[in-house]
Amino acid sequence: MKQAQTHGTPMKYGMAIDLDKCTGCGACMVACMAENNIPFKEDESDKRVSITWMRIFKLTNGKSFPDSDICYLPRPCQHCEGHEGHSPCVSVCPATATDYSRETGIVSQIVTRCFGCRYCMGACPYHARYFNWWDPVWPDGMEKYLSPDVSPRMRGVVEKCSFCFHRYQLAKNKAYLDGERRVPEAAYQTACTQACPAGAIVFGDLNNPEHQVHQIVKPDSNNGNRSRNPKAFRLLERTGTNTKVYYLSSREWVRRAGDNYLAHEKTGQLAKLHH
Amino acid sequence: MSTLDEKAKAGMEDHAAHGSDAKESGAGGFIILFFIIGFAASMVLGWVIFPKLLYSQKQQPLNFNHALHVEEVGEGCEGCHYFREDGSFSGIPKLAQCTECHEEPMGDTEDEATFVEQYVAKEREVPWLSYSRQPDCVFFSHSAHVIGAKMDCVVCHGHIGESEVSRPYEYNRITGYSRDIWGKDIAGLKKNSWDRMKMDDCAQCHKEAGMIHTSSVQTDRDACFVCHK
Amino acid sequence: MKVDRRSFLSFVIGGAAGTALSPLPWKLMDDSSIWSQMWPWTPVPPDGEVVYEDSTCTLCPGGCGISVRKVDSRAVKIEGQSGHPVNDGSICILGLSGLQMLYGPTRIKSPMKRIGERGEGKWQKISWDEAFAILTEKLTDIRDKGEAHTVAALAGSDSGTVPALIQRFMAAYGSPNFMRSPSYRDVDELTVKALFGADGRTGFDVENADYVLSFGSGFVDGWGSPVRMFKAASLWKEKDIPVVQVEPRLSNSAAKATRWIPINPGTEADLALGIAAVMVANGIADTGDVSGLSGWENDLLANYEPQKVAQTTGIDAAVIVEVAKGFARADRPLALCGRGKAQTAVSLRETAAVYILNALTGNINQEGGMWAIPEADYIQWPDVATDNLASAGLDQPRLDGAGTGKYTDARYLTNRLADSVNGGGPYPLQVLLVAGANPCHYLPDTQHVKAAFARIPFIVSFSSFQDETAAMADLLMPDHVYLERYEDVPVGAGLVQQMIGLSKPVVSPQFNTRHLGEVLIMTAKAMGGSIADAFPWDDYETCLEETLAEKWDTLMETGVWVRADTDPVAGSIQLAGLDAPAVQAEGDVNSFPLLLVPYDSIQLTSGYMGEAPFMIKAVSDTVIQGTDGFIEINPLTASGVGLGEGDRATLTTPRGEALVRVHLFEGIQPGVLAMVRGLGHTAYDGYLAGKGVNVNELIGPVEDPSTGFDAAWGIRAKLDKA
Repeated sequence: MKQAQTHGTPMKYGMAIDLDKCTGCGACMVACMAENNIPFKEDESDKRVSITWMRIFKLTNGKSFPDSDICYLPRPCQHCEGHEGHSPCVSVCPATATDYSRETGIVSQIVTRCFGCRYCMGACPYHARYFNWWDPVWPDGMEKYLSPDVSPRMRGVVEKCSFCFHRYQLAKNKAYLDGERRVPEAAYQTACTQACPAGAIVFGDLNNPEHQVHQIVKPDSNNGNRSRNPKAFRLLERTGTNTKVYYLSSREWVRRAGDNYLAHEKTGQLAKLHH
Repeated sequence: MSTLDEKAKAGMEDHAAHGSDAKESGAGGFIILFFIIGFAASMVLGWVIFPKLLYSQKQQPLNFNHALHVEEVGEGCEGCHYFREDGSFSGIPKLAQCTECHEEPMGDTEDEATFVEQYVAKEREVPWLSYSRQPDCVFFSHSAHVIGAKMDCVVCHGHIGESEVSRPYEYNRITGYSRDIWGKDIAGLKKNSWDRMKMDDCAQCHKEAGMIHTSSVQTDRDACFVCHK
Repeated sequence: MKVDRRSFLSFVIGGAAGTALSPLPWKLMDDSSIWSQMWPWTPVPPDGEVVYEDSTCTLCPGGCGISVRKVDSRAVKIEGQSGHPVNDGSICILGLSGLQMLYGPTRIKSPMKRIGERGEGKWQKISWDEAFAILTEKLTDIRDKGEAHTVAALAGSDSGTVPALIQRFMAAYGSPNFMRSPSYRDVDELTVKALFGADGRTGFDVENADYVLSFGSGFVDGWGSPVRMFKAASLWKEKDIPVVQVEPRLSNSAAKATRWIPINPGTEADLALGIAAVMVANGIADTGDVSGLSGWENDLLANYEPQKVAQTTGIDAAVIVEVAKGFARADRPLALCGRGKAQTAVSLRETAAVYILNALTGNINQEGGMWAIPEADYIQWPDVATDNLASAGLDQPRLDGAGTGKYTDARYLTNRLADSVNGGGPYPLQVLLVAGANPCHYLPDTQHVKAAFARIPFIVSFSSFQDETAAMADLLMPDHVYLERYEDVPVGAGLVQQMIGLSKPVVSPQFNTRHLGEVLIMTAKAMGGSIADAFPWDDYETCLEETLAEKWDTLMETGVWVRADTDPVAGSIQLAGLDAPAVQAEGDVNSFPLLLVPYDSIQLTSGYMGEAPFMIKAVSDTVIQGTDGFIEINPLTASGVGLGEGDRATLTTPRGEALVRVHLFEGIQPGVLAMVRGLGHTAYDGYLAGKGVNVNELIGPVEDPSTGFDAAWGIRAKLDKA
């Protein structure tokens, strides 16, 4: 059989999250927990050790009553592409437990490979990675709802959002059966996207102009994949993490919260990004 | 020869003489004997006893005659092991599938009687032991291999379809893995492609088939998130 | 031969060499590393065939369609049902958590009777036969003594066949005391009757409105049918529709609105009337749908001119005028009423004011407007033929006083139950049956409610869960949960059409529980006579199928029945309810200088269902930390009391006291404290119990004199550094 470098043009799965629509309800967080066999403890209020692949942050505009304003920001793993796939976590992993796929653009975490050094957690600017300080324990009977699609993790390993990669695997299965080369847009959607009652999350292939996410984001490949949508921004964009999760907001203070700006700097007026 | 050389030579002879004096004759032989005993004992331990201790055997709940079913059902393996509509693979058939034919005993073997009495009548699933079950962290796509790459079942599962009796299920006491995937040969040698199904074996086969992709940034080979979950 | 040191060493070296050349060390190393990568005690979920089964969620009144993913016989995930008229594929945080309730350890796993002191938690498992025997004996004894009226039933709702069976049982047995959990529906029904002169409920065409004015309605905090409202809110964003949220706190709904107008708590009705006054004064009101306006116009204009309303509400007069004009000039303006999730009643004055505001836009029963429609009326059973004992019981007044005296229009006054039991009732209550309700957690002044429950001689709980009310019971007869049973789910919740969903069993019952409908039918049959005659069905499923008649097939096929052409109850309104007094907060200003207002969060159920572990996990650390509950406070108010972020404080109200921690929040009016509803459970397990403070223990009911319903929106409070 002839060697194929990749299955056709590489994909680049990413998200556009509309913060104008997001209500901070937490459905994405729980959809993720239910989909990915995420464990829980009696006390989950220490958020540093509370495993939430998807976590909602509350942003405030810093103004006093009644000019105060809030905005919620859901934070999955940002699946940084960095420079040619050298995302911050992938670059530091000594165990080859985390990897960047050029075919899907997904940053993977293989928990059985991970030995728990937590370098990746230190390297991740988004606190998107979580360490299992304890073995997962499901209260009596609850292990019945565990999904066979995602392997439950054990104590001593790091885990994070996978963009529900198992759903891609299952969609691929179906595509093979149907004799298709590619997974259709609707066949691979993350659990958070599917659940979001506000329809705030759009997921798909950023490389595919037919996908809604591409149409919203309009990534500029000549400018470090920055969005051409004036409402869009990425978190800590200027660090060059080249993330694949884009946020949309009509409010300047929200867009500003996405990075560190000097007083005179405005968002959307930055110099070109270089790698 | 210089004085110095002579001195050195004398010293060596002196040393040798001293050595042979101190030892009873044949002592060197004993040392070798003990070496051999130790060596042989550990070889026996490592090659014969250890594998027996490492792998435990279980019998299948019922004897299953693959050859007979292939003949009777027809359609080859797909007669019983098929793809579901969602592209997933059905694996070992569920009781309902067996019951389609086995509502009443077919034939008069003891196993058949047990099957109908203990399982069909009581609507209990048969706790078959899967020889080829991969560990939980592995996602194996039958459709990619069987439909996509048009591979034959035999490549991974061997000639199980021709078997008339169910051989014992062997599993590793430490990892809990089936011996079929974890290596039939204790030395790690493979005679057939189906003798082992570890990650390296997947990689080897992919390499031979020219199916190595360079999607991984870490390894320049296949990315982890293809077969892992 | 002598085995000396050298021989021994030689043996060891030989052994080592042999071992190294055998597979033993290498295999052991490999195996143990694999073992350490996947400890055998980490669960391995069994694989199998994946199927999706559709049903209807009953965890809240929203009526969403759900699609349950199963792997063989196990349910592994709940997703929204695509194409469903309510939620079209989306789902809320509560609906997603359903499996933790189904499989959770706080289920009541079999019938039980109390063997310890009440509330002590000592139970004995009994058979269903024994449970039926205890219940029927108790009920027969009381009835034979001519005291049938001293038995009461409290249900979560009164719509659908299961609550109808409870009502029927009570009627056949001879007790007038059926109650449902209090909610905004109480006052909504009464206001519709007062204004439209007919029985019905309101519906809000949120999808088609082009200006939304919300009087504290948490449209993304769980108001109405939550997922439908989330979708509507996103639609409003897409269409750039003005949304004005009026409430004292920057809630999530306020943050999603295009404009948040903070208001003095409890003065929403004044603002609504102020806006109405501006509309009438400027001739921009459409009075076609409103009769009785002329007699009221002068009062309205005099009492609610912008300056006066500004004084009461704390909102600038100019803002009031601006909002009034924007609202009136929109094509399809819509005003929403019912605070937060609308789980509690508001005053009749407030509801009437907001509904009249809607009427003044000429948009009643129009696209994008407020509708008044009748409840789906599909339960057509023959009247109960009562015997003498039953008739005598039914002639007695209700324990809560509903339907008599000054409460003529109210059907249920569940908020008055505790007072009645604690000594204010016409007769003592002997038996209380509780189904789908947890009054010992969510009724206001919970301690008072618990004290009342302690006085009730016999309590039967049909709850599926070990909740606070089940803890007070004498007999537990656990119901299936929604994923294990059939049930019709009539959906109200602000929808503009009649809709019925069908809940279907997607998994077999996990424990030794029984369908409540079944239990009622069997109990009735066991009691015999006219009671048994009132329940002619063999089982609940037969009853349901016969009741739904021609709708059954549609429901089995699609899971939902919608009546698109629902006729409104009436097209115009008669002004009423505006002379009703405002409801004030309890407590005096001098001893309690601050105001405590409860708020609703979509992340907490604050109803019958306890929060699943997943939901609690999603709650912010500014709401719960460890077991500490937080109150929100404006930094100005906090510094006045000498409190900083996270400090501990004692919160005192006329009804109780609690230790809390403070969270500084710029989104709340100075002088106001906000506490979330739903926390402070004492029952359930360690994943829920003991976390935070139950705000209902700090707030007592404040009766709206025009309805009798509890319309408390807050209570006066003080905060001291702890």
